[in-house]
Amino acid sequence: MAVRRILVCGDGLAAQMALTALARQVAPDTAILWVRAGDQRDGDLLYGSVTGPSAYGFNLAAGVDERQLVLGSDAAFSWGTRYAAWGAGRSWMQAFALPFPVIDGVVFHQYLARTGAGGIDPYVAGLQAARRGVFVHPPREAGGQHPLARAEYGYQVDPADYAALFAAARPADRVEVVEGAFAGAEVAGGRIAGIRLDDGRMVTADLYIDASGPAAVLGSGAPDGRRIGMAVRNEAGADEAPLRTVTATALGWQSATPLKGRTLHASVYAPDRPDEGALGRRVEATLGRRAQPWVGNCVAIGQAAGVVEPLTPAPMLLLERDIERLLSLIPVTDDCAVEAAEYNRRFADDYDHADLFQRAFFAVDGLPDGPYWDAARAEQVPEKLARKISLFGNRGLLVAYDLEPFHPEDWIILHLGMGRRPRRYDRLADRADKAQVAQFLTGMAREIERAVETLPPARVYRQQLEQFLRKAAS
Amino acid sequence: MSAALLRRIVIVGGGSAGWMTAAALSSLLDPKDVTITLVESDAIGTVGVGEATIPDILAFNQMLGVSEAEFMAATQATFKLGIEFVDWGAKGERYIHPFGQHGVDMQGIDFHQYWLRARDDGAREPIEAYSLCALAAQAGRFALPDPNPRSVLSQIRYAYHFDATLYARFLRRYAEARGVVRVEGIVGDVRQGADGTIAGLTLRDGRTVEGDFFFDCTGFRALLLGETLSTGFVDWSHWLPCDTALAVPSEHAGPPTPYTRATARDAGWQWRIPTQRRVGNGHIYASAFQSEAVARETLLANLDASALGDPRRIAFKAGCREAFWRGNCVAIGLAAGFLEPLESTSIYLIQEGISRFISLFPRGDIPDILRTEYNRHMRTEFEQVRDFIVLHYAATTRDDTPFWRYCRTMTLPDTLLHKIELFRETGRVFRYNDELFARPSWVAVMLGQGIVPAACDPIVATLPAGDVAHSLASMRQAMAAAVERMPRHADFLSRYCPAVAA
Repeated sequence: MAVRRILVCGDGLAAQMALTALARQVAPDTAILWVRAGDQRDGDLLYGSVTGPSAYGFNLAAGVDERQLVLGSDAAFSWGTRYAAWGAGRSWMQAFALPFPVIDGVVFHQYLARTGAGGIDPYVAGLQAARRGVFVHPPREAGGQHPLARAEYGYQVDPADYAALFAAARPADRVEVVEGAFAGAEVAGGRIAGIRLDDGRMVTADLYIDASGPAAVLGSGAPDGRRIGMAVRNEAGADEAPLRTVTATALGWQSATPLKGRTLHASVYAPDRPDEGALGRRVEATLGRRAQPWVGNCVAIGQAAGVVEPLTPAPMLLLERDIERLLSLIPVTDDCAVEAAEYNRRFADDYDHADLFQRAFFAVDGLPDGPYWDAARAEQVPEKLARKISLFGNRGLLVAYDLEPFHPEDWIILHLGMGRRPRRYDRLADRADKAQVAQFLTGMAREIERAVETLPPARVYRQQLEQFLRKAAS
Repeated sequence: MSAALLRRIVIVGGGSAGWMTAAALSSLLDPKDVTITLVESDAIGTVGVGEATIPDILAFNQMLGVSEAEFMAATQATFKLGIEFVDWGAKGERYIHPFGQHGVDMQGIDFHQYWLRARDDGAREPIEAYSLCALAAQAGRFALPDPNPRSVLSQIRYAYHFDATLYARFLRRYAEARGVVRVEGIVGDVRQGADGTIAGLTLRDGRTVEGDFFFDCTGFRALLLGETLSTGFVDWSHWLPCDTALAVPSEHAGPPTPYTRATARDAGWQWRIPTQRRVGNGHIYASAFQSEAVARETLLANLDASALGDPRRIAFKAGCREAFWRGNCVAIGLAAGFLEPLESTSIYLIQEGISRFISLFPRGDIPDILRTEYNRHMRTEFEQVRDFIVLHYAATTRDDTPFWRYCRTMTLPDTLLHKIELFRETGRVFRYNDELFARPSWVAVMLGQGIVPAACDPIVATLPAGDVAHSLASMRQAMAAAVERMPRHADFLSRYCPAVAA
């Protein structure tokens, strides 16, 4: 039997993003139904307040272009996150970047190691722009020769506001909104037979998407990782700096995310030791992922499949990937066994690989003591992460696994930002003349510095862009 | 092994593996710091036959800094744009597995999904009609890729066919000019230190060769890694039952084709690899299913022109070593493992073995993590190549001989089975990131051997038929026109790199 009806269950960011992406991408003769289930407004805070550069392409494919985002949401442009006081006086800027240049077959950071240059900061254009609080869209024309051509940006967002953007962007008649609220699911033979509503009616579909948050109303088998608490509040502010700041504290960490006209403040802590200074909305969650997000005819996405600490853009990256993976595997018949196996394999890889990146944050010395930090450090360093850290430390080598959500350049910036310096470098880097390498590096840093000097503050750039777009629209 | 740096590197065995290792190391190391010695004997033959390669070899040559024309002239090389497979999916069928990709991906969706959609609408062109390399191969034409990404000719990907013995000789000249010392002799005894690492070799004539690090390039015998260090062998012959090759060169019957041919036979398959002056041929078969006499007869009855000499017999077993790097010894080439050359991966696996070693280049103390990483990486490489080769035997409807009945019904590695199922359903390709054979290769072989998806991607299914047909027709025309303008392969060779007398 063909898949003709897809039902999305949930009422938050994951449901809105999935509905809009489905509305845009599945065949018009496939019905898309939406049943509101639960309330994910508080839980959605755990998706965090930053997206990665992949959001641009994801949104475009879902029919949400950047003009809509600039005009219709509080989102701000983001070069990345600055991590401060991260143990032993450590602080660095985790900027987004396109791959660094490969020169004569040797990757860029090997030349840094060879010249003993240390950090990579002067060569990351987005990082230098963030330092000055300036922003422009990275110029991609001119054959990638512009000093900012390798910069990448994401967005700073408020999850509720971001969800509303997706809801507004889809044609009203494409999704059939089922009146009434979710009451329960009928299960038969390991598959969902239908959704029961609070007024007693039943709705059926061929494929069910569970986007109901950690409660996962259609699934079973909750994750069992450590628990965290989070408090979030807004503060007025016109700063709109194109970077988020995360600061380690004795209780956990705090973040400040500038948006259009306000700043979102969040604190993350151990649940039994709340940050008393942090007022605002509170939420608690158990971190971890499900073993099998796709069972029978039901696929859990977003927090229904796994909850990730919003320390990096990982939660948003994984939500995007869940939806993309689902779209690339929409089954043709209602026997979904093959699609489910592939979906589950890729889900587990994506989630576990994102987890490596986050766990790397705790694999350094000098972090505070206390319940939050002790719990985070108590988790074992996975063997894959140990290999990444040890091979980078040994010789600047990047061990990469399949299709990791965080790219080699993210790892280079992280390793170097945390103060890790390769003890040896790639012998191939010796083929280049040392003076020439030094000259190349100096030139590159100078060009970036000159280019960012002339850029407008992020707020001014956004205001001008908004004016331009309004004029163009009228 | 107390020295902080490796000062003396010893390579045991010549051939492609030994001399590729020597050449690569000598291009990077200064003979003042590190001595490189290669021990080989003219009395021990190498398995050098006509050798086909894949495009990764360009990177190897680039690393050495050799001129392409000079290398090709010295090794009787021709260009290769892909492999033609004959009688694999079913008797009477043929397809080309080209280098590069088919068509152009549109709107983020793989090209082959558009092709499947057009096929559902009644189009009959094979997917090869959208591969520039396949079209040029069929037309016997060749041109170097155009660096301008907007040009259709930028899609050309190529490799070489060459004479492996001449290649080893070419690399020997290169390596000796950079200070590699060749020692003629046969290893009599391998001496080990107290910690089990290799300390040195004693040759049969009593001379000794000492070293800090050893490369085992001794072929199937694996003298150091296998015999001395007792590293076990992982046997994959239940998936790849062929265990014998008969190789013989023959005359050309026409201009050299810019592609390799692999023709399925009753109990194996036959290769045809054109170099400039002759054609390399070989019949690989499973001795459990066919006698040597029949195999020999099959080979000689299927040559383009008369054979140049008697067929040489080579016995082997499919599989790899349990570890590739133990102590202070790395095995390269056949000593590391053997996978039949159905997809021309032998030279690639040598190259990968060397370049991975170079990127991990150890100091004298050799931390364990380097060995672990090297072994993990190489094992994955071998397994991924293995799965792709096994696919050719599994994806068949042939049941005309006991050999093919065995292949058709054997239990497959899980990784491969999952890939086939996923493709069969809607043409989706199981994704791995750094797999040697990427999506276009899997698509070419699966479609070429009759694994045709039941339906195309549901998203492509909704596009207007006229738009799809129009896009595909313009792609096809652009490629056909580009092939028309390319020079003939033979003409290109005679201008660019005519063979020098060996």
